[in-house]
Amino acid sequence: MGRSRGFDEREVISQCAGAFLLTGYEGTSIDDLVHATGLHRGSLYKAFGSKRGLFLATLRQLETTGSGTHNPIDLLLVALLELAPRDAEVREMAASALAHFLKQDAATTLGARLLERAQIDNNSFPNDWKPT
Amino acid sequence: MNTVAITNKSLVVEPKGLDKLWSLKRRLEIPLSNVRGATFDPGANSEPKGLRAPGLAIPGKWAGTFNRDGEKSFWNVSKPGDTVVIELVNEHHDRLILTVNDPRVLVDKINAAIQDS
Repeated sequence: MGRSRGFDEREVISQCAGAFLLTGYEGTSIDDLVHATGLHRGSLYKAFGSKRGLFLATLRQLETTGSGTHNPIDLLLVALLELAPRDAEVREMAASALAHFLKQDAATTLGARLLERAQIDNNSFPNDWKPT
Repeated sequence: MNTVAITNKSLVVEPKGLDKLWSLKRRLEIPLSNVRGATFDPGANSEPKGLRAPGLAIPGKWAGTFNRDGEKSFWNVSKPGDTVVIELVNEHHDRLILTVNDPRVLVDKINAAIQDS
């Protein structure tokens, strides 16, 4: 048996996911994560290796146990917008997690959630638009 | 200030100029397999560093090895804001906290390199 870390890892990961949802990946500092979890900076680093390691843990948890009260697509939007373009592992994990939550095709699911989250009504656009 | 390079599957850290003297390290070489990840973390500078053994601690500048809560960290930070934290495993130091040029670029480079290694 390994030494107990003395905290509920799942709970810590959810708290960090909450912070990433609120302020994005780059916008969330380690100070924010220390504040969100109540853990020491050193404990966060020891448990997850890096902010990226912690973000990967939130994606993993999303896929295995869902996202609690948050819409699971929201964390994927953060992953796709910020890390996926430059990080192959995040890209693969985000795509695999996305596959879990699809009810229609990926682009429609993401676009619909993006508009809903921004409080923009998809029906507010003229439906006779043409590509220019 | 430090230069950090990735060569031959290793992370090579060199304190620059007089920082070599203060930190009592000319060069640190760490196999990428012992690097867990890198984080851009400007707030790390204001963290309690623990007991210095050995090295230099004057306001705004920390260089050398510090022990806290049973962990050994290597610090070489000066300018606030450009700090990178590199977490290690199976090394003399558990963690490196370094001031570098272009911290975001370096963090991405290290995190990409450890995926490939």
